[in-house]
Amino acid sequence: MTATPILYESVIGLEVHIQLNTRSKAFSSEANVFELSPNQNISAITLGLPGTLPKANKEHVEKSLHLALAMGCSIPQHTQFDRKNYFYPDLPKGYQITQDKNPIGRGGNWTFTTGGAERTIRIHHIHMEEDAGKSNHELSATHSLIEYNRAGTPLVELVTEPDFRTGQEVYDFLTSLQQLVQYLGISDGNMEEGSIRCDCNVSIRPFGSLVLGERCEIKNVNSRRFAREAITYEAKRQEEVLSSGLSIERTTLLFDAEKGTTHPMRKKEGENDYRYFPEPDLSPICIDGSWVNRIKEELSILPAEAMAVLIDWGVQKEEAEKICSKKKWYQYFVSMVGDHALPAVMLSSMVVNKILPFAENHDIELSDVLSPSQISEVITLFNSGKVGKSDVLSVLLPALMKSSQTNVKELAQSLNLVISVETSDLLPLIEQVLSLNPDKVKEYQNGKKGLLGFFMGQIKQTAGVAIDVGTLKPLLEDALHKDLPNN
Amino acid sequence: MNNSPTFMKNTKPEGLSLTAWVQQHLEIAEQSAHLNAFVHLFKDGALAAAHKIETAIAQGKKPGKLYGIIISVKDNICIADRPVSAASAILKGYVSPFSATAVERLEAEDAIIIGTTNCDEFGMGSANTHTIYGAVRNGDAADKVAGGSSGGAAVSVQIGACQLAIGTDTGGSIRQPAAFCGLTGFKPGYGKISRHGLIAYASSFDQLGFIARDPSLIRLAYDICRGADDFDSTVSTAAEAAESPVSAARLATLADFFPASNSYTQQCYRLIQKLGESFDLTLTSFEGMDYLVPTYYILTTAEASSNLSRYDGVRFGLRVGEDGSLEHMYTQTRTRGFGAEVKKRIMLGTFVLSEGYYDAYYTKAQKVRRWVRNQLETLFQDNDYILLPVTASGPWAIDYKANDPLEVYYSDVYTVLASLAGLPAISIPVDFENERVHLQIIGKSNNEHNLLAISEKIISLSLK
Repeated sequence: MTATPILYESVIGLEVHIQLNTRSKAFSSEANVFELSPNQNISAITLGLPGTLPKANKEHVEKSLHLALAMGCSIPQHTQFDRKNYFYPDLPKGYQITQDKNPIGRGGNWTFTTGGAERTIRIHHIHMEEDAGKSNHELSATHSLIEYNRAGTPLVELVTEPDFRTGQEVYDFLTSLQQLVQYLGISDGNMEEGSIRCDCNVSIRPFGSLVLGERCEIKNVNSRRFAREAITYEAKRQEEVLSSGLSIERTTLLFDAEKGTTHPMRKKEGENDYRYFPEPDLSPICIDGSWVNRIKEELSILPAEAMAVLIDWGVQKEEAEKICSKKKWYQYFVSMVGDHALPAVMLSSMVVNKILPFAENHDIELSDVLSPSQISEVITLFNSGKVGKSDVLSVLLPALMKSSQTNVKELAQSLNLVISVETSDLLPLIEQVLSLNPDKVKEYQNGKKGLLGFFMGQIKQTAGVAIDVGTLKPLLEDALHKDLPNN
Repeated sequence: MNNSPTFMKNTKPEGLSLTAWVQQHLEIAEQSAHLNAFVHLFKDGALAAAHKIETAIAQGKKPGKLYGIIISVKDNICIADRPVSAASAILKGYVSPFSATAVERLEAEDAIIIGTTNCDEFGMGSANTHTIYGAVRNGDAADKVAGGSSGGAAVSVQIGACQLAIGTDTGGSIRQPAAFCGLTGFKPGYGKISRHGLIAYASSFDQLGFIARDPSLIRLAYDICRGADDFDSTVSTAAEAAESPVSAARLATLADFFPASNSYTQQCYRLIQKLGESFDLTLTSFEGMDYLVPTYYILTTAEASSNLSRYDGVRFGLRVGEDGSLEHMYTQTRTRGFGAEVKKRIMLGTFVLSEGYYDAYYTKAQKVRRWVRNQLETLFQDNDYILLPVTASGPWAIDYKANDPLEVYYSDVYTVLASLAGLPAISIPVDFENERVHLQIIGKSNNEHNLLAISEKIISLSLK
């Protein structure tokens, strides 16, 4: 007798650490940069020298408030720092200043796109804390080396409810989060450079069960792809453990990106007692309504709102998504439409198909590819019917971006793109080409629709001047249908 | 009134050079080296500072408010480029790269630092016997303790090696040794003076303060040191309360603090009754006296266990056992570096914060602290000052060993009241019944000036 195999689902919750781009560190005045030579950016406060005290950083609080408000968290009237006590050489004071009982935001949720649909996950809370330094165990054979430049830099930590079910959802959430923090201007959001790090709590349970299984925590995952791989691997591992009749032990894991596997970091997690208590060196912070209102007013447009603006202007969804994936692209687009009164639909085609790829290939800003007046002239040419859309996209724009020629009209003329053939001139041309190719006409009429391109090419060649494809195509199709023999 | 043979007048005699004045003080300190009051004497530094000030004044600079005042600094307060150890082996050899805000402000007014003073390790103790520099001996009777933790600070003034000592008071560490040494000891309200540069014991209690003979000098130093500081965001920026007439002061005392069996505190009680002839005096009660010491020790040890985590041998100070594992180095460094009393308090504090005990101890103690504060606030609605003893006895023998460690902790009951409430408090010597009796006065928040004024008034009364 064989038992029916149990089908499991994964339950995943995240703790995401986001490095904030404040000017100074969280509790001291040195600059918030650590791409310097080791231990060059450390004050007495960062090192926790005897007699030093922390001082809260208003920008740390405000940037955290931006995230909390964007995610719809409730903001308490008072927020307070706590100490998390543990010994580690890269933790200078023997405790981390963080938030435990009174975090800066509670509740809230976030909606993102995954698998072509919208998905909403709940936020448990958002809190502020300081980062630790870094330990290096490889550089010296006899000693561990400690680097404190990163110590004391401000983080905001986002803790979600266990609402994710797959690694792909986590991947898509992190993508959306990167986009959000970059919109809010609170972090560069660069996961690969460590600006966003994430701990993934993974458990599995039989489908339909409401009871949570014992979870394992995968620490310090620093890429979306790794998060997806680690979660997928871990869920499978847990399933194998349960299937073999064993039970899951709560473990802290690390993900080995090369092998694609997880392995235990340290055991006995339950024995870690951080002895949280209120940080007596920092007074509670009072967040009054006027402060919250001011932050709300300053709050950036959110990615979903940006999308809605473009869709409203008639921009295609895929194009809108591309433009809105970076706030600076969205801002560029909005200013081109708004300040230069350009039509959104044509502009988005130009930007997404040509200008943006060019900017990315050459690693320059969108606004540095073409001047607003050049773009404006291209669109004017298009609007006047003098240059066809496909010629604009495939010939004129590439030429304009590459050439030093700044006069759009002259360039279009020199490329022979300016339409000098009127509609009334087109019909004889069509007739001439069709009569020269009766066999092809028959083939087309018998279903070989691909021949349309052949006819258009022939007509263009015969004409010897630029023809607007948009005008030509319906006329040509009309003519091909008219010639249909009566049977 | 001074029975110390080496007592000197508070002010520099006219015509005596500042350097000579400093030299005299250095000599006094050196003569009393057997009392262990000083950790370091800044012989060259103090003379150089005196010379510098004299030169500047000769060139037309206006003398600072503390011109001619020699001060000592407790060994748990940082002075730039000077060693500071909190009387602990774990910081032996450590030199601070910066000065405490209070030190900077005093020096800016031409105060001259003569040296650093011995204390109980990290401020933990009531007799200044828990120190790597040897127990501090009382200048009035060398076989007796000086009190603690600012014992060296008190003796430095007592012997006349300086006019003003900067100390710290967490649960009575200024007021008690001042009383044991016949001096005035002043702890401002919590947060009135920046803690920047004060080596933390219990952050929500620690307060810088002063010991001197002269309350007016204390007031001057207090005014120089107090107020906002960029390096300590917990400093209170509340203004001093308006001056209230001393004669109209409403005094209160708490009956529970004067057990009939203790003749020492009974004398203090008679003194207070005597003061009732000159002032409006209310005898009232304070329920909850039994909770003061436990509450104080739960909260201070909790904070201490965390504050002392940074002494791990990694970045500064003592490092032992680096040839072994990380845990070995931590354990060896902290085992060798900390004294028994400090270790005991770290363990107590770690315990009260640990999972499963936090609410029973720490949370409850926080509630009691709030309750104490509220009780005193209520008391202060109808009264201006609370008068209490400073201690249950005079200084004990230096070789006295308590059978019960709690006995020493309970001796703090008189001073921890003001510390729990964060209120300003002072200990003053009063001549009464042909003896020197020590009286503690607790004032309202932001009433430091008024507290000092009434203290001066009471000291000046000639009582029988």
